[in-house]
Amino acid sequence: MMIERTVYRTIDRIGDPALRRAAESLARLVLENWFYALVVLVLWQFPAIVADLSGSEVTPRRPTGESAFWQSEMARALVLACLAMSYNLLFGYNGIISFGHALFFGAGGYITFILLARVDQSYQQEALIAVLAVVLALAILTRITARRLVTLALGGVLLVLLLVPNTPGMTFYQAAALAVLGSIGLSLISGVVTLRLRGIYFTMFTLALAEMFFVLAKSGTFRNVTGAEDGLGFGDLLPAALNPTPTADGSRLQMYRVTIVFFVIVFLAIRRYLNSPVGRVIVAIRENEERARTIGYNTFFYKLLTMIFAGVIATLSGVLFVIWATDKRVHPEMLSLKFTVDPLLHTLIGGVGTLTGPVVAALGLILGETYLRNETFTLETEVLGLVPLWQFAVGLIAALLILFLRRTLRPAIRRVAGDGGRWSVLGAYLALWIVVSAAGLVIGGQVVPDLDLQDEVFDVSDLWDLFLGIVFVIVVMLLPHGIVGTWNRFWITRRIRRMERALQREKAP
Amino acid sequence: MSATPTPAHILEVRGIHTFIGEFHILEGVTVEVPPGSITVLLGRNGAGKTTTLRSIIGLAPPRAGEIAFKGVPIHGLRAHKIAQMGIGYVPEKRIIFRDLTVGENLLIAERDKGDLERKADFIFGLFPDLKRLYALPGGHLSGGQQQMLAIARALVADNSLLLIDEPSEGLAPVLIEHMMEAIRQLSASTTVLLVEQNFQVASQLAERYVIIEEGISVHSGLMADLVQDKALITTYLGVA
Amino acid sequence: MQTYWTNLTPQHRRSWLLVVVYVALLLAISWLDFGYNTAGQTVFRGILLGMLVFLVASGLSLIFGLLDVLNFAQGAFLLIGAYVGYDIYQSLDASVEVRFLAAIGGGVLLVAAIGAVMEAGLIRPLYERPIFQIVLTFGLAAIFLDFVERIYGRNPKQPLSPPPLLNEKFTLFQQSLSVYRLFIIGLGLAMMIGVYILLNRTRIGIIIRAGVQDPEMVQALGINVRRVFTLVFILGSALAALGGIALVPYQGATLEMGNQFLILAIVVVVIGGMGSYEGTAVASIVVGLTRAVAEQLSLEHFDAPVLAETSILLLMIAVLLVQPSGLFGRGE
Repeated sequence: MMIERTVYRTIDRIGDPALRRAAESLARLVLENWFYALVVLVLWQFPAIVADLSGSEVTPRRPTGESAFWQSEMARALVLACLAMSYNLLFGYNGIISFGHALFFGAGGYITFILLARVDQSYQQEALIAVLAVVLALAILTRITARRLVTLALGGVLLVLLLVPNTPGMTFYQAAALAVLGSIGLSLISGVVTLRLRGIYFTMFTLALAEMFFVLAKSGTFRNVTGAEDGLGFGDLLPAALNPTPTADGSRLQMYRVTIVFFVIVFLAIRRYLNSPVGRVIVAIRENEERARTIGYNTFFYKLLTMIFAGVIATLSGVLFVIWATDKRVHPEMLSLKFTVDPLLHTLIGGVGTLTGPVVAALGLILGETYLRNETFTLETEVLGLVPLWQFAVGLIAALLILFLRRTLRPAIRRVAGDGGRWSVLGAYLALWIVVSAAGLVIGGQVVPDLDLQDEVFDVSDLWDLFLGIVFVIVVMLLPHGIVGTWNRFWITRRIRRMERALQREKAP
Repeated sequence: MSATPTPAHILEVRGIHTFIGEFHILEGVTVEVPPGSITVLLGRNGAGKTTTLRSIIGLAPPRAGEIAFKGVPIHGLRAHKIAQMGIGYVPEKRIIFRDLTVGENLLIAERDKGDLERKADFIFGLFPDLKRLYALPGGHLSGGQQQMLAIARALVADNSLLLIDEPSEGLAPVLIEHMMEAIRQLSASTTVLLVEQNFQVASQLAERYVIIEEGISVHSGLMADLVQDKALITTYLGVA
Repeated sequence: MQTYWTNLTPQHRRSWLLVVVYVALLLAISWLDFGYNTAGQTVFRGILLGMLVFLVASGLSLIFGLLDVLNFAQGAFLLIGAYVGYDIYQSLDASVEVRFLAAIGGGVLLVAAIGAVMEAGLIRPLYERPIFQIVLTFGLAAIFLDFVERIYGRNPKQPLSPPPLLNEKFTLFQQSLSVYRLFIIGLGLAMMIGVYILLNRTRIGIIIRAGVQDPEMVQALGINVRRVFTLVFILGSALAALGGIALVPYQGATLEMGNQFLILAIVVVVIGGMGSYEGTAVASIVVGLTRAVAEQLSLEHFDAPVLAETSILLLMIAVLLVQPSGLFGRGE
């Protein structure tokens, strides 16, 4: 705060108004974004940092060593963070709950590489037909004017002639572009069918749609096309420029940097989108769709727009995810609920409706899991070497029971505490806890010593899902705004309270 | 909860403040209802009359103030507990259960088994049409019949206080007459607190009144006095 | 019967007509394409599936109708019921019949207990935040699935033989089938009728139906709606568990079955109309038949039974476009 004030005050002293304005915007840019710039810098230098800490090379001859390993892990985490951001766009900012987000993610991988693998002829004719079909569909289904229709048709044909060569086969970039188009198409279908109805229909529809494609991708019937459960191997179809496997020539490092750039672009794009007039309408729709509609906004259109945008980001993330796959296969798991639940989880834990929340949660959780993968967790039979675990558990359970049954117990507690006030009530609760714990200890004392308890050693990777589940329930019940969200609100409330106090001081000297 | 002698008022609402979300709807409403009477809440649209009834029945609990029924504090209790103490609620817009038959609508209002059987004569005496329509789904009834059903439903259990919200709304004049007669008859055994926008109806039915303006109770007294006071009527109720 | 027809809205009458026409169409296509016997077998399979889906969907519909919560954990309830039932059936040291009954009882009770705790502890506090309620049921479903996988492993459980009483063979449409299949259909039918009687002939049923329309008014009539909420949730979860256990001697238990039936149940509830009991019943049969016929068609013509998945989705899209509130829904 102090720094900002000093800087702005200094700028105010500049005489020339044009210069002052320029300095102001520059100052604002730096002051508001210095943190993000720092993060990007750290990310950029991350491989070198890891290399220094672990004594490995940034570009070793063979793809081994800490630095090389963490390059791919961080890249994977960044890609999944982008997926989480796209989910947050729908859920946090637009209030749209999608349970089929994995569809867009997996579509990126599958469509790209199926096309690459199977299209071995020129498809310029097909593309032209597709453009004309889209134009025809628009003509029939919407009330688009003739002039716009013609412009679209001409533009489409021109685009096809320019971009789609008359040569056989498809390049990776073309395939990826078509995957994006496919994603847009899926968004349109889902949107048109369900967005006019209650939100719950959209949610159910996305679940059913994603499940259907998942089953189709996994099914042995289409093994030739999709590779079924084993996944679609694409080995040498990946252009060399994008192949992160070789480390000696710096390919992996370069791909890592490309991923960082992608991540930054997605972040900036979403931020730009939210700050734009469209973005503000989106948030208004989330707050109260009815009101937004009565004001005159075509809420359907805006929701559809956000869906398309989020879908495209998810698809591109999917393509990148596949690029980093170690076994060079597109697995049907990409279409499974895992890649819908994970971004949902990251969004919730990080902070619904915050820009950085999902990123923080995604990076933290994914990297954390990788880091702790080989660690073990020992459940000792004695807590801190003092109290046997079971006794500790009895006390904890007693406390939790009393906490949950507060309301039922209140009249009885009141009666015991009488008119003593707050401390009497506290004392009554304490007494109750002692009684319940004592009972538990007595009962336990009969049973437990007969059990031969020893220190249990658990693998962290086994417990990780359980851990996530518990965190999930805690966040949904107690921290609806997620970690970053609660943090933001804390600071904002503090600032508001400070301002209130300042105002009061001004009012009553 | 100390023992009080039988209060003069069967319902006492004292200075309640009720919020809907963050909107401060009631900013201090006081209503005193003597037993056996018909009291009406008057006021312009949006003044807070419906919210007052909802606060009493517990669907919109007040954040401050007190409500006592037969001397027992009821503010803060859950709605079903308040209803079980003997308060019947007839909401506005004739809210009956459309998919349930007339019979089921009445049966669900039973608090003790056999309530409907005992009150059958009384209820069908007031509203003979309902007997004929007993097996029909509520949604098939006309507006007037639905209103009768809504009121009848509040008579099934042993209620000593009825909260009725805008019974005349959307009814043809002939039906309004019938309905007013029914309310007059049942007020012999039950106290009635009415919300009525239609001043003609209100003035003919009620003995006492409370005027609510912008969430505050501003005036109360005997209806007989109010009908004389043209100035008061115009100030708070607009056109009579 | 006559009063039922006259009491229907024109929209619902049209829906009945559509259903009858559609089912007739399905039957006709089956007969013409597969021949009498295969068609019969397919229809039988479809009805069987429909009954099983009904068990999951009725819970979904009731819970949604009354609590306004779409319980995405219904599939997980079926899954838990199946695996626990399997466990009890296989490991208990008693005669077959006792094992069977214990499996049913144990599975249903456990899931009902989970449902009760879930509703009271997790869903009720989130009443003000419906979005989080949905997200919670969805997340819990994933957590439950994880638990089941952790405890029972990934390998699918093979079907166990039903008690000999139910394992008699009979011939239908030239196919030798176990009586157990009839048992499943009978079970589903019994539940259909049972829940119908509950809803229409008991006081609690009147309360539930009234609560679906206006829970606030029910509360104002002096009835503790929250207790009814918990009851309905328990009922819904128990029905799903029952479906799961019934499946064990027929198809065994796999980790995917929860999700499979959840999707089918969702489609049923959308097609039938959210909160409409008869809609759920009718739509269950429709969805079951559609799935069975589609599977047979794709098998015969494309040798790709998996294509039947798309049929369900197409059906859902068709209904959403034509009648958004479902065949017997209440209208938006």
